[in-house]
Formats: sequence, C-alpha cells, structure tokens
Amino acid sequence: MARLKSVWVYHVDAGSCNGCDIEVLDVISPYYDLERLGIKVVPNPRHADALLITGPLTRQTRIGIRKAYEAMPPKPRIVVAIGTCASSGGIFYNSYALYNTSPERGRDRLRSGGPEMVVPIDMYIPGCPPSPEEILYGIAQLLGIKEKKMHGEYWKALPPGEEGDGVSFTIPERPLSLRLWITLRDELRRVVGYYDRDAVLDDFMKLLEQAQKDENPRERLHDLVTGYFLKEKDSRVKVAMRFLEETYWSLVDEYGEWGESLRKIGKSART
Amino acid sequence: MAESVSYTEKLKAWNRKEVEKIGEKAPVTTPYPFIDIEKPPEYRGIPHINPEKCVGCGACVNACPPDALIMEWDKEHGVKRLTYNAARCIRCARCIEVCPTGAMEPTTRFEIATNSKEDLVEVVEHRLAYCEECGEYLDFTERQIEYVKNILPKEIFDMYALEDRMKLTQDAKMRVTVEKLRELEGVEYPAYLLAKRGDE
Repeated sequence: MARLKSVWVYHVDAGSCNGCDIEVLDVISPYYDLERLGIKVVPNPRHADALLITGPLTRQTRIGIRKAYEAMPPKPRIVVAIGTCASSGGIFYNSYALYNTSPERGRDRLRSGGPEMVVPIDMYIPGCPPSPEEILYGIAQLLGIKEKKMHGEYWKALPPGEEGDGVSFTIPERPLSLRLWITLRDELRRVVGYYDRDAVLDDFMKLLEQAQKDENPRERLHDLVTGYFLKEKDSRVKVAMRFLEETYWSLVDEYGEWGESLRKIGKSART
Repeated sequence: MAESVSYTEKLKAWNRKEVEKIGEKAPVTTPYPFIDIEKPPEYRGIPHINPEKCVGCGACVNACPPDALIMEWDKEHGVKRLTYNAARCIRCARCIEVCPTGAMEPTTRFEIATNSKEDLVEVVEHRLAYCEECGEYLDFTERQIEYVKNILPKEIFDMYALEDRMKLTQDAKMRVTVEKLRELEGVEYPAYLLAKRGDE
C-alpha cells in the first residue's frame, strides 16, 4: 500500500541501550537522508502518523508507550519496531525489568516479547542494531517502494539413506577423515575467527589433496605450504596455515599411535 | 583472506552502488531504496540453517546467547524441531562457530524487515531414532548416530560392540553391558581398562 502523503514519525525509546537510537539518527543524516522520502521526525506524538519504537519495553516505559500510542491521530497509527529488542525482547527477553506477558516467557516459536505486548506492530526491523540500510528498507517497504523478501521456512530433515518428501542428508567428501577434520576445525579456532576459518581450512584441504598423491606427503605438504606462505599477503592466514600443518601431523601421529594400541588390544582380546 | 576467495577479489565483486549505477559524479545521498545494493562481503547478516548438513545436535542452541535458536521436543511423535527466529537473533555468529557440521551458514542478507514475524522463522524437523528393544524414542536423531559412526574409528566400534548398543535407551544399554561383561568373566580386566594409551 503506497502512501502518497508524507509520514511524520515520533521516535520513542522503550528502554533501549541507545544503539538503535544512534542508527535512527544516522538514517536522518545526509548520506541516508530519510527526509527525502517525506519522513520527518517530530517532537510530539500528536503530530505523528508513525511511532518508531526502540528497546525491549521495560515496566516503567510501558505506560509511556501506551500514552504516546493513544495520543497519535487514530489514522493511520503505524508502529515500527526498530532493533532486535523491539521485535522480540532481544537478549533481555527474560529479564526481571521487562514487561512480558507472553505465555511461554518468550520461548515460543514466534519469540513474543517487546513492545508488541502493549501496541500492535506494523513493521519489524530486527538487527542488533539494524544498519541504516536495514531501517531504510523497512520504511521503504511501508511506503510501497520495496517488496518483502523474507519468508518462513519449514524443512523436514530425512534420516540418512532415505529419499522422498524432505531434505536428504549429505556429508561432504574430504581428503581426510571426518574425525581429523572436526578436530582440525576446532583447533583452528585458536588462531582465526569464524569468518576466515572455513576458507583457510578449504585451502589446506586442496594442498593436502595434492600432497597425498605424492610418495612423501610430509615433505610435499611442507613445500606446498611454504609456497602458499610466500604468495599470501595476509600474515594471519600465513600463521593459520603453518599452525594447520603442524597440528595436522601431530594429530595424525597421535591417532596413529592410538589406532596401533587399539588394534593390539583387539587382537589379544580375541585370542 | 585465503587463496580460494581472496578478500580483495571479494571486494571487487561487491556491487558498490554509486560509482557504477549513477556515473562518475556520485551524489552525497545514497540512492538506496530506489536501487538494489549489496552489503560488503564481511557484513554479518542473519545466519541460515542448511538442512542438508544439519544433524540436530543442538550445539547452536547451547551457544545462542539470546535464545534465537530453540529445540522443540516432541517425543510422542518422535521428532525434534530446531527453530531459528531472526527476530531474536543478534548476529553474534556464535552458532556458526560451534556448529560441528558447518550447517549454520553466514550470509550478508540485510533486507529482512517484515510485517509478520512468521516470515522470520526457520524450522528444521529431525526424526528421532528409536530403541530396538523397547521401541521408545531416543534423545538422538538418526543423523546424529550416522555422524558419530563416521567420526569414531572402527576399532573402537569393535572393542565395545557399539554397533549393537548404539540404538538402545539408557536402561537397555546398561542391561546389555552387564550381560556382555558376564560373558567375558574369563578375561582378567574389563575392556575399558585395557584401552589406556601405551598399555599392551
């Protein structure tokens, strides 16, 4: 539903940490310039068509929000919840300071909580805090400029080896055993964060696959990693690669010993 | 960034809005709501569950600080549902870090504003394995058991006869273990004592 008239908004804080408030300020700044869409922040709810709420709705602000909502003109009375807290209570959802009357204390599938306990909400903009583009997108959707892109998903995960109505199970093929892969991935967390970790590990897999074709994989892998080391510019990735090489061989040795002793015990138990 | 996807390459592939779409003279204000843009590659958007890889272990549920990920148990029907709600998510990426299968995937999605919270929910329904002796449902999914089978070496399965006991409830497992030990009374030490490292 496109709105032809300008929408004036009243911004109200329902106990937020001020992160979302700063983002609302950003949206009004010249780079994002919300006012070119006809949005104007007014200092009085009686002049406002829309209410921007940030924060998880503390007990003290509940009455204030209700009053601001009732002071708005009866039409169109749009309410926009900005931020994760305003959408569902966020990380504070089960705090003692919040007003939350949801039956399962915010642990139901819709994660009810936040200002939706006292006022009906027309637009949820989750994010902690949402970036200015996210807020712009939400408001553009209200004005009919953008279309909704999200939709809920419900998948049925099928057990391994079964096909039919649902999603079947796959374990990706790798040049090393799953046990080694999991341990390496967990160890790699010590040197790189989640963002680089999988990419670095994938690169290591490629080198390992090349090295395993050679007669002497230990030396070949060392050569390959050194070549990678010289080419790579990011020193953090270099460190991670060396770390991976060392950890890989120490793990292979350790698991090899374990396997040997296990096999011996197995033999002696059988005889 | 690593070799396969160099960070600078990723930045080059990033669809910057003003320069290409408006021309040389970019105005101060972004033309955003009237064009489509992308976020930079390292932007932390909402995560996404890949149902092909997910085993339903619940590691992400333990790690999630605001309980955006919750496990719904339904033992009567033998299912458990991993539910993710973006309305509660603070994008800390802890779930991506702890996932043992790589099923939680980071995305750069930012256009998630919606008028109904139903749109923000992702559910993966897992079927539970059931006990072969008493027919009760276990706490594990069949995918979890398959994954463990792929992780542990074969010798351990042989030594503890895990194949027979894997799909049993706790009671049945204890009973079977006692029966096995009675059979092995001739052996001086029970098997788990022999498994110490370096001991022969």
